[in-house]
Amino acid sequence: MPGPGFACHGRWRLLTLLPLTLLPLGCGAGSGGGEGEEITLYTCVSDETIQPIISGFESDNDGSEVKLFRAPTGDLNARVAGDVRSGGLKADVIWGCDPLTMQGYVDQDLVGGWSPEGAADIPEQFRTDDYVGVAVLYMVAVYQDGAPAPSSWSDLAGTDYDSVAVSDPNVAASALGALGYFSQEPDYGLDFYSTLEEQGAQQVGTPDEVTAGVAQGAYDAGITIANSAYLAKDSGSPIDIVWPEPGAIAIYGPIALATDSADSTLAKDFISYVVSEAGQQVVAEAGSYPTLPGVEGPEIPADAPVVYPDWPKIDATKDSLLSDYQQIFGG
Amino acid sequence: MQARSTDLGRRAAVLAVGTVIFLLVVLPVFRLGYVVWTEGSTQLDEVLGRPGLGEAVLNTVLLAVAVTVTAVPLGTLVALGLRRADVPGRGWWRFAMLLPVLVPQFVLGYSWTQAYGRAGFTDTILGLVWPSVLGPWGVWAVLVVNTVPLTYLFVAVGLATRAEPNLERAARASGGDPASVLRHVTLPLLRPSIAAASVLSFVLTMESFAIPQVMGTPAGFTTVTTTIYRDLSLGSDPLSFVEALTLALLLVALTVLVVIPADLWLGPRLRVTRVANPEGAPIVTPRGAAGRWIAAGLGGYLLLGVVLPLIALVTAAITPAVGVSPSPGNWTLDNFRFVVNARNAEALGRSALLAFAAAGLLTVLGGAVAVLERRRAGRVMASLVTVTLVLPGSTLAVALLITYGRWIGGTLTLILLAYLAKLWAFAHRPISGALDRLAAGEMQAARASGAKALTAVRTVALRPLAPALLGAWLICFVTALHEVTMSSLLYGPDSDTLAVVVLNSKELGRIGATAALSVLLTLVMLLPALPLWVLIRRLQSPRHPRAGGARSLAHAR
Repeated sequence: MPGPGFACHGRWRLLTLLPLTLLPLGCGAGSGGGEGEEITLYTCVSDETIQPIISGFESDNDGSEVKLFRAPTGDLNARVAGDVRSGGLKADVIWGCDPLTMQGYVDQDLVGGWSPEGAADIPEQFRTDDYVGVAVLYMVAVYQDGAPAPSSWSDLAGTDYDSVAVSDPNVAASALGALGYFSQEPDYGLDFYSTLEEQGAQQVGTPDEVTAGVAQGAYDAGITIANSAYLAKDSGSPIDIVWPEPGAIAIYGPIALATDSADSTLAKDFISYVVSEAGQQVVAEAGSYPTLPGVEGPEIPADAPVVYPDWPKIDATKDSLLSDYQQIFGG
Repeated sequence: MQARSTDLGRRAAVLAVGTVIFLLVVLPVFRLGYVVWTEGSTQLDEVLGRPGLGEAVLNTVLLAVAVTVTAVPLGTLVALGLRRADVPGRGWWRFAMLLPVLVPQFVLGYSWTQAYGRAGFTDTILGLVWPSVLGPWGVWAVLVVNTVPLTYLFVAVGLATRAEPNLERAARASGGDPASVLRHVTLPLLRPSIAAASVLSFVLTMESFAIPQVMGTPAGFTTVTTTIYRDLSLGSDPLSFVEALTLALLLVALTVLVVIPADLWLGPRLRVTRVANPEGAPIVTPRGAAGRWIAAGLGGYLLLGVVLPLIALVTAAITPAVGVSPSPGNWTLDNFRFVVNARNAEALGRSALLAFAAAGLLTVLGGAVAVLERRRAGRVMASLVTVTLVLPGSTLAVALLITYGRWIGGTLTLILLAYLAKLWAFAHRPISGALDRLAAGEMQAARASGAKALTAVRTVALRPLAPALLGAWLICFVTALHEVTMSSLLYGPDSDTLAVVVLNSKELGRIGATAALSVLLTLVMLLPALPLWVLIRRLQSPRHPRAGGARSLAHAR
């Protein structure tokens, strides 16, 4: 005759089966084992851009596989730092979103030392000996429909705008690029940010938040990235976009080979593909601005002025720059 | 002979749980400390003396105190209010009180700015703006809204498992007014639950990131976690990374200063010795206006705290672009179509599997610590499992990555370990608060009567603890399901979870799609909660008189 606990055997059996549900968990990454070679790519580029690139490369290289880890720059940095302290970088290729982050990896000897042949076709301001820019972000001015259009960056610090939104250079590398550019320009300097703040400018997190805030009517104008602004405008948001004088600020996203993968032909082929005209075309069709001249990307107004930050100088002065900026906007 | 075997069993249990704590808590934190020591000890003064850090630490501690002293009394009041039978729609309110915790933190923060900020929902409809929504007051308000459900749940579980209706009835019969019965009988019985809620509330605020980042940073309000995020964002140079880890360990130190003394000194003093079978018939409250006032208060709280922000969120999800009028003519489902696809569904499936496994294991682990902490050898365990709760998600993920990444990097197993380390205290505290509901002699009596160990546990211990176990499981499941920070850092090529979907959507800059995803996520959270609510109601019905957990819940009224 069964005891009182017997009726519950089914439940206990379920409990004993619980560990079995975990077995497949160990079969995630690393099981790999496709027919051809595989490489691992670490990137902060948007999923919308990276997926078509991977598809294009894999279809051109039958049997090959690109394993992807995609995350914002902060998480990417943390993952790389974790890798370095647990057996070494797991990526064969890193595609970053700004030159400062990539230079940090070069300084640690994690990436660099190789450039694809096609790199020579990329403008000099978008490459070094260790990495090559394959996409660009342009910092532009966005303003509400009905508000006066700023013709230059300095107009944003004028009395036409009650509130201007800027993104946080501690969070967004594009904002750091803009801060670096303005700080080095004799007509602007950090005084530009001081005047903005005195005029009621607000700091938000990312350029997307700037765009959303202006579109929503929370701010009259702002400094944001062109992709974000055009996406919102094309979706129907009541905003307009200006590439102000002396120019939209170009921040390039570089790609580099991991030093531990110096012998990986597939990793080199992948970088060469992204730099090539075919790869740059995919980048453009995915909505990012390519770096290769002649490849038509998203909207750029005719004769739009563009300026380029001095990245090595920004890298050298980053800490003091951010500290001075913090005195203005707090945080 | 039996005593010796029981003693051996206890030692084995302490050893087993101690080993798991060592692997999930001690070793990863030690690895963090080792990295800081070997790579950053020479710059330690510089890191700790950096401008703004003192302010961030002060903000963090003040915020944690402010949220705790608000959320714990509020949660206690709600639990006591919903104990009254004359609150109209009481069953529904109990469920509704949990709504804020079902909404992911980043969604709650974002939706508050959409609801009360400049050009937000109330500004557009009523011309009302709350200028301080961005800044410390907004952060405090949203964290309180987010924490009250947890404190409510802890106290409600405490009422379900610890209340002594007969004792209260005796106090009333002896001439005690309701206030003195509350003060001298009910609240003293609830002290362990309230203490557990206070500790968790304090620790959760210390480690909160999404809400301070979304609502505090724009106004220049920084906390330790937002400072860590900055260091990681600009941290491709090793020093910034080490700075981030140092600040994370500072958080641990601050928490240890508060939690360990509380656990070691306060814990044993708050416990009470129970007599066997303390239950009695539930106290029937006379019907009156108070019940309606309680319902009205809860309605107002939920309307301002959750409903209006969620309406703002839904509005953003069904309009084609930010700034477009949300009139019916402009409504669209395009944003939902954009986020509903096979890849996202697969990620959701993985997240659900992970959350399910994590919640089950955590309930077992939480129960184990709750039992063992009552002995000298296991007393420090409760404090240790709280250490990893206070570590910011990104830092805990790094700790596990540098400890185990070499072998299981990029797998769902590593993400599961991260969930176990992070949420262990979530499971432990509610169970611990309810454990002295068990009368000391009942287990021995069952064993002496011939019941095997498992039978004794099932028939004597599990039934009265059912509400606490169910509460712990639910909190762990929901929290694991919408966890973003750790899994977005630890996932691998074939193990992307819901977190990756959320980040992908946010990074595309499509506000409408992000809002649509947030709405869907909130609905997904409701899916497991609804059947549970129905199950509890069914168990409470007279047709299931043997359901101990339900009976205990009924006593909480």
